[in-house]
Amino acid sequence: MINKVDYGQELHMLRTALGYDFMSLALAEPAEYDYVLRWKYASGNTNDRYKRIVLQSGRGIAGIVFKTGKPFLISSVQEDVRPDNLFNYPITKMENLNSIGAVPVWNDARVEGVLLGGFRSGRRVNAEMLQALEEAARRGIGELNGKELLLS
Amino acid sequence: MRTRDADLSDALMMKLFENSTEAIFFFDREGRALAMNPAAKNIVDPDILKQLYQGYPEALCGTCRGYTSELELRTCHNCYFNTPDSEEFSSYQVYLETKDKGIIPFAATFHTIDEASGVRVFMLRDLTRQFKTQEKFYQNKMMKHVIEAQENERKRISRELHDSVAQEVMGAVIDLRLLKYMTADEQLLKKVKQTEMSMTRLLNDIRNLSVELRPAALDDFGLEAAFRSHFKRMEQSYGLVIEFHSQLSDKRYGSEIETVMYRVCQEAVLNALKYAQVDKVKVTLAENDGVLRLLVEDEGIGFHPGDEPGGTGLGLFGMQERAELVGGTFSVDSGVGRGTRILLQIPLRNTLNKEGNPE
Repeated sequence: MINKVDYGQELHMLRTALGYDFMSLALAEPAEYDYVLRWKYASGNTNDRYKRIVLQSGRGIAGIVFKTGKPFLISSVQEDVRPDNLFNYPITKMENLNSIGAVPVWNDARVEGVLLGGFRSGRRVNAEMLQALEEAARRGIGELNGKELLLS
Repeated sequence: MRTRDADLSDALMMKLFENSTEAIFFFDREGRALAMNPAAKNIVDPDILKQLYQGYPEALCGTCRGYTSELELRTCHNCYFNTPDSEEFSSYQVYLETKDKGIIPFAATFHTIDEASGVRVFMLRDLTRQFKTQEKFYQNKMMKHVIEAQENERKRISRELHDSVAQEVMGAVIDLRLLKYMTADEQLLKKVKQTEMSMTRLLNDIRNLSVELRPAALDDFGLEAAFRSHFKRMEQSYGLVIEFHSQLSDKRYGSEIETVMYRVCQEAVLNALKYAQVDKVKVTLAENDGVLRLLVEDEGIGFHPGDEPGGTGLGLFGMQERAELVGGTFSVDSGVGRGTRILLQIPLRNTLNKEGNPE
């Protein structure tokens, strides 16, 4: 990667534009870390604990979005997630989020990242907001061009 | 003239008859009750008692619920009452409907004590406790087998994934990496790179599956190594930080003990993660005075023991069961607002397995 893109700055601008309390971007690590997925960048975060988590494909918010390539919405963590399932979504706990939406970030017809937006206050992510998030991801972030796999 | 010895044994016999917890009935040749001791009267319903004294045919059937033969648990076939002194009835098991405890199993003997007058004695001993003990013993044994079978199966699948499936995928990943030396086609290489990324992640998923089923480290390197890698994965998957202190270094114990320690710890830590609302758990592993100790502590919200469980409640039960299987003790100390401490202690020396052989 020759042109280092400032993902952090880009994410921050995106958050200001979309109005989320918290936003983060999960990307694959380089080859020497076995391409594992991590929350690499965050904006509006209260601490750096999100960096600890290695996302497993098919598990947790990013894992599910990454594997399915579909958006994911929990409009109210309190109402929609049973307490004994909450541990499956550690980022909600760490950042004290109550409502989250997550969308895949495509690159050359592959999911290469996950973009997440969330609220701590009573505000909720709704279908329109999720769509706006999806559109933002489709415009591309950093080096990811947002090109989706189109099945003809 | 009677001797003192005979007097003494008479007195003793009377005492035995009066005070024995064993029920004793005497019957004459016709099957009428001649006498019975207080223990016997305690079992039988007063109505049937009367019938027994009156020599009602089949009076005993009012209380008897069959004896255990080779073929059936409770049968009336070939009733013992009609064929005393056969070899079969020197000691057998019979079920009686008792006055206030329902149907109870008894160990019984029925034999003639006076050939000339045909007096027969029927003696009964309550077997309920033995049955309970036996059942508990059997249950423990079954539980042990089930857990063992589960662990073995997990081990097998885990090994298979690790040694065979993961190896194959690894080979494919290496082949993919080699492709870049074989072509300069940019577009192709880009695609190959993507495939390599997916395959590498798949490989990691397989390894994770394998470790989750049963960590090879537990069998190969022992408790401490298995704990460390498990805690690292807990941190990576859930952001839960585990403060781990161990005084064991790489000491090894019996596979059964290590498995119990590992599984109980796994469950305890997962419970803390799920219910305690903490992101830090302290785990201490130590051995002193021949006792292996595992302590899992958190400073979370705690719970009131005995309350309706937040989950299925099976986790605590399972930990208890596992601890008992290796003769260990398991305790939970918790209270609302003061965190939870889970302590597992397993004695190492003089551990006897269920067959009574030293491990």
